[in-house]
Amino acid sequence: MGRFRKLGVAVALAAIAGTTLAACGSDGGGSSSEGSDAKVLKLWHYESENSAMGIAWDKAIEIFKTEHPGVQVTFERKAFEQIQQNAGMIINSDEGPDIMEYNKGNATAGLLSSQGLLTDLTEEATKRGWDKELSSSLQTTARYSDKGVMGEGNWYGVPNYGEYVMVYYNKDLFDKNGVTVPTTYDEFTQAMDKFVSKGITPLAEAGAEYPAGQLFYQLALSKADRKFVDDYQLYKNPVDFKADPLKYGAETFADWVSKGYVSKESASLKAEDMGTAFISGKAPMIVSGSWWYGRFKDEMKANWDSFLFPGNKFSAGSSGNLWVVPTSSKAKGLAYDFIDITMRPEIQALIGNNGGVPVAADASQITDPKNKKLIENFNTVSSQDGLAFYPDWPVPGYYDVLVSGFQSLINGSKTPDQVLDAIAKPYDDGVKEITGK
Amino acid sequence: MAVTTIPARPPASRDRHRRGKSRWIVLAVVTIAALVMLVPFVFMLLNAFKSPGDYSTGGPLSWPSEFYTKGLSNYWNQVNFPLKLWNSLLIAGSVAVLGVVVSLLNAYALGIGRVKGRLWIVGLFLLANMLPQEALIYPLYYAAKQVGLYNTQLSVIIIFTVIQSAFGTYLLASVLSTFPKSVLEAASLDGAGKWTVLWRVIFPNLRPTLAVLLIFFFIWTWNEFLIPLVMLIDNSTQTIPVALASLQGDRLMDAPTTNAGALISLIPAVLFFIIFQRTLSRGITAGAEK
Repeated sequence: MGRFRKLGVAVALAAIAGTTLAACGSDGGGSSSEGSDAKVLKLWHYESENSAMGIAWDKAIEIFKTEHPGVQVTFERKAFEQIQQNAGMIINSDEGPDIMEYNKGNATAGLLSSQGLLTDLTEEATKRGWDKELSSSLQTTARYSDKGVMGEGNWYGVPNYGEYVMVYYNKDLFDKNGVTVPTTYDEFTQAMDKFVSKGITPLAEAGAEYPAGQLFYQLALSKADRKFVDDYQLYKNPVDFKADPLKYGAETFADWVSKGYVSKESASLKAEDMGTAFISGKAPMIVSGSWWYGRFKDEMKANWDSFLFPGNKFSAGSSGNLWVVPTSSKAKGLAYDFIDITMRPEIQALIGNNGGVPVAADASQITDPKNKKLIENFNTVSSQDGLAFYPDWPVPGYYDVLVSGFQSLINGSKTPDQVLDAIAKPYDDGVKEITGK
Repeated sequence: MAVTTIPARPPASRDRHRRGKSRWIVLAVVTIAALVMLVPFVFMLLNAFKSPGDYSTGGPLSWPSEFYTKGLSNYWNQVNFPLKLWNSLLIAGSVAVLGVVVSLLNAYALGIGRVKGRLWIVGLFLLANMLPQEALIYPLYYAAKQVGLYNTQLSVIIIFTVIQSAFGTYLLASVLSTFPKSVLEAASLDGAGKWTVLWRVIFPNLRPTLAVLLIFFFIWTWNEFLIPLVMLIDNSTQTIPVALASLQGDRLMDAPTTNAGALISLIPAVLFFIIFQRTLSRGITAGAEK
């Protein structure tokens, strides 16, 4: 929570700064091919050393060095917090990097692009074929309008990896209780009924952080189409919170709580508690994102696997964070070359083989069967244009609204109808502010 | 040496063995409070030596199933701890010394010198100290960038010297305004100038207070997070709290490594406190003997 409040402060400061920044930002412009003869590439990212992206990008740096003899790569691993809070200030100075990893979304990459702090990559994306390699729902987070709203407009970033919400399950607990892996929504609820009848809460949840909002969104998405996602996320049309799919999502969520699929006690739990409940084998299932995958693989002793949320065409998910080239970059040409290397099959396969979700990988190149399944499921969602982003994205500060809304739904202090009212107003107000309607 | 000091201790009153039952109650309360304060440290110790898998399976309260030290070494190597330690020491040490010097000079002018409107000046200083750093950060960033100090340790040293000495000035000015006039008059009768009065009369009397300020400034600056995070963007200039934050990811956290990092990061500050605690008490007794 603390981080999000700080984010709010950072965003507000950046907004104040906006007018001053825009003036300073323009002097760093110039032609897009400039800096290909630079001798140093300053590169920042914030993935940990042994994560899938960390490993793959180390390799990409190695390849870059052999292909650019005489160019020195100064790589620094940064703190997520530091980039999240200060990216605008950093790249508006002379001390910033030539290329860096940055968070996707309107409040981050969108905001900086609208202030003129990020380089327009459209030309490079078409020239080098990145626009063909990324599916349209992945491109959504790479392109921003001149107001900084994602979805259309110029390219300001290139994602290397994706993420999506799925169901993780504990195979041992399923076997022990004679539950089979569900493939439809009905089978899913039957499986949960069976756990409940044996006195086990089937789903670990976390009402104090993002998971509850994502479960609600996931349930709503089972009744949704692309039009709803565009309306909700990209403000194409007004969204009615008192109609399906959102109404269905909130009512089903309440139903799940009353049936005991989700424990009332989970209202105050954090995502970390939910994850450790699953790892330690206390909970047979969780509905959460691919960011857990590597950790489960390292730490979980029981057999486990994952399946897509049964019956859904759409899943919460998106591209991962982006490679962006600051306007102040002194080696833009080299930065484009580096991005191009990260999109190569070799690097993409490396992401996949280490438990990440590559955006442009050939699943046949992935050796580990579990990794392969993770990527095949992602490719299924991505190819049917099924990435629906996250429920807290549309409006700044919406994360806290959703957390408090679904917290009160889990502990029963509000009815679904009241919760929908509570989350509708901040959404409407926020959208009004952004679109000006 | 013409060192004049004022007796600091009130005379010991009643015999302390006579106070009876209430002493034991106080002792019990203090013991419980001390134990409560120690609980977070116990958890930190417990989890610093636990493997991530162990932590996820058993939770934060369980006893580690093996003595796992990779978290410590991971943190040490990942963030290049010796370099961060040097940066932190350099910044916190410089701020502590400079902050105390600036506070003393300011307070001498305000407390002894009787500057006009000094109440307002002191109030202004206090205000500067109370302003949330979030509000200061953008102007500071912009100013540092203009003068070319952005991303240097010097910028952070200057900022914190000012912030800490604002509090120090407030505190010392109040202390000095009660400084006995007779002592000052005696000194000036002996022919001491303003400078001599400061170093020969005021400074020795204030030494214990200054030592406490020094320790506070050091530890406060050591723990500062937001301003170093904003001003120091290169890994080679960063401080320990910023390095500690780099262990926290976007959606995932690595609790054992974070605990291990916190443990290592805490040690220098504790050592500093223990070492200076001794010189501090020596300073007080030295004053009392005279």
